[in-house]
Amino acid sequence: MLRSVILALGGVFLAQGVLNQSAFAQMPAGDPAEGRKKATMCRTCHGIEGLAKIPIAPNIGGEPASYISRQLIAFRAGARTHEMMSVVAKSLDDQTIADVAAWYAEQKASATLPAGKTDAQAPETCVACHGTEGIATMEDAPNLAGETVMYLDTQLKAFRGGKRTHEIMSDIAADLSDEDIRELAEWYSGIKLNIEKAK
Amino acid sequence: MKRLLLGTASLLAVTALAQAQAPVPENLEKLSNFQTTGTSEFTFVDQTGDYADGIKKTLERIKLPDGFKIGLYAVVPDARHMAVGPQGIVTFVGTRKDKVWSVTDRNKDRVADEVKDFAPSLKFAIPNGPCFSKDGFLYIAEQNRVLVYPAAEFFYESPDVAAFNVVKQGELIPPTEESYNHTARVCDIGPDGKLYITLGQPFNVPAPEKADLYNKWGIGGIIRLNTDGTGREVFATGVRNSVGMDIDPKTGDVWFTDNQVDGMGDDIPPGELNHATAAGQNFGFPWYGGGNVRTNEYKNDEPPADVVFPAAEQVAHAADLGMKFYTGKMFPAKYQGAIFSAQHGSWNRTTPVGARVMVSYVNEDGTATSEPFAEGWIDENGEYLGRPVDVAELRDGSILVSDDLAGAIYRIWYEGN
Repeated sequence: MLRSVILALGGVFLAQGVLNQSAFAQMPAGDPAEGRKKATMCRTCHGIEGLAKIPIAPNIGGEPASYISRQLIAFRAGARTHEMMSVVAKSLDDQTIADVAAWYAEQKASATLPAGKTDAQAPETCVACHGTEGIATMEDAPNLAGETVMYLDTQLKAFRGGKRTHEIMSDIAADLSDEDIRELAEWYSGIKLNIEKAK
Repeated sequence: MKRLLLGTASLLAVTALAQAQAPVPENLEKLSNFQTTGTSEFTFVDQTGDYADGIKKTLERIKLPDGFKIGLYAVVPDARHMAVGPQGIVTFVGTRKDKVWSVTDRNKDRVADEVKDFAPSLKFAIPNGPCFSKDGFLYIAEQNRVLVYPAAEFFYESPDVAAFNVVKQGELIPPTEESYNHTARVCDIGPDGKLYITLGQPFNVPAPEKADLYNKWGIGGIIRLNTDGTGREVFATGVRNSVGMDIDPKTGDVWFTDNQVDGMGDDIPPGELNHATAAGQNFGFPWYGGGNVRTNEYKNDEPPADVVFPAAEQVAHAADLGMKFYTGKMFPAKYQGAIFSAQHGSWNRTTPVGARVMVSYVNEDGTATSEPFAEGWIDENGEYLGRPVDVAELRDGSILVSDDLAGAIYRIWYEGN
């Protein structure tokens, strides 16, 4: 089972790579200093360094600029929807997206397992992309360390129910029960995320 | 589920990827039979130190009318809506995460000295809304269930509490309509003894196709039901996302706040304080985005003729949340019978507004007039130092204000001059 998932992942990432190149070919280069100024509209929920202030906002500090840009473009285009982010993203131009993505990508994310937990206990379903400690191993996957249980639960259920779609996540989530989702969410939520401020 | 967590990673992977697993026994079944679950660990929240001192520093800048004082009552992570126990022993505090906190002031110096998680053997999902009946039954409205905890003020001292379903998991709303946003429920017991629960609808403005389903379930409205879960009915419709409700102790009428449409501009539409004088009223959403401002999406549709407009309009995007009729005697006469309510503060307005406590005076004609009561949680750089969520009243007539950004509960009392 796991093997087939990994094989499938390989194929999807190849396709993703091609897609991403074309989608981002026109994106301007981001300026982190400009991004910091423009992040006034992000920080109420995501924090100025990307450590979230409200439970449903993910911690975006230290995510790759390409991941942040891709999500913002998806919200703007309506491919991903969220009651708050769809409103915010509608007003963003390409330069603003590139700048705020560059700012948040400048921060450094690291994770610490809680006492008594070891990497071997990490959910095998997730670790190939999101890492045992929730620091992602590839650009297309977000860090999950320290996200709230409710954020992770909401996203996995959105993938499962089709409200959010992704080549890999939609398939993985389709097979998860509510209890499985809660268990995976609690693993990553229990990990402490540290975000080191960019100079 | 504990078994899985302790098991090997491969067992978890198999379980996670396989379908049709046997349902894992819920601790709720044991608790409903007054059995122990074996859980013994509480999480205690430190009430002193640098963190508490930082909050106290913020409170020095809060402006209040003459004679009023504000102080830190408790450090409570993610503090949302509050329910003060009828015996005055403990205050239960919901969160939009997965914990409910119990806050106890044992030595009665009006500062809490113990904050620990409530019912740690239960798995909560957005347990935002606790409310008490007069006889000590605690109800907690979550994302998609409602449980009742009899004698919660007694049982909370143990990790195992008595707990029963009022609305089973998955039956408050259809699971397909679950969301995170607009899912912070609040509840209250009406003069009819029924349990009233606000149900936000998940969208900024919903599509017309959703209308039939939502009206049937009371999503985007308020429902009421008997405290044993029977007799559910839709009490109010045309509500976008109400996260604050209280019953006027004089008239028995339901009053509630509502959060209005985003993305229409910085200064429209207004926020709302609403007054329901009967069951079955329609409060105008989605035809109106707030007050009498029409939404772009429904501007060509005929609104219902009998729409009830707000009793008081509030500043646009200030996010009016929890509210409480003041029944105490401690505050001066003009505040007695008035409504205290919290504005959480805007999230995407160019210049932030809100993050304050409002007071609204009820007029003879059933409308209300609002003014700021406590403010100063937005600093000179437009940064939030705190975001008030709910207001509750202690038996001595002082009020509590929760704050989910600072993770705190404040107490406001009147000393005179």
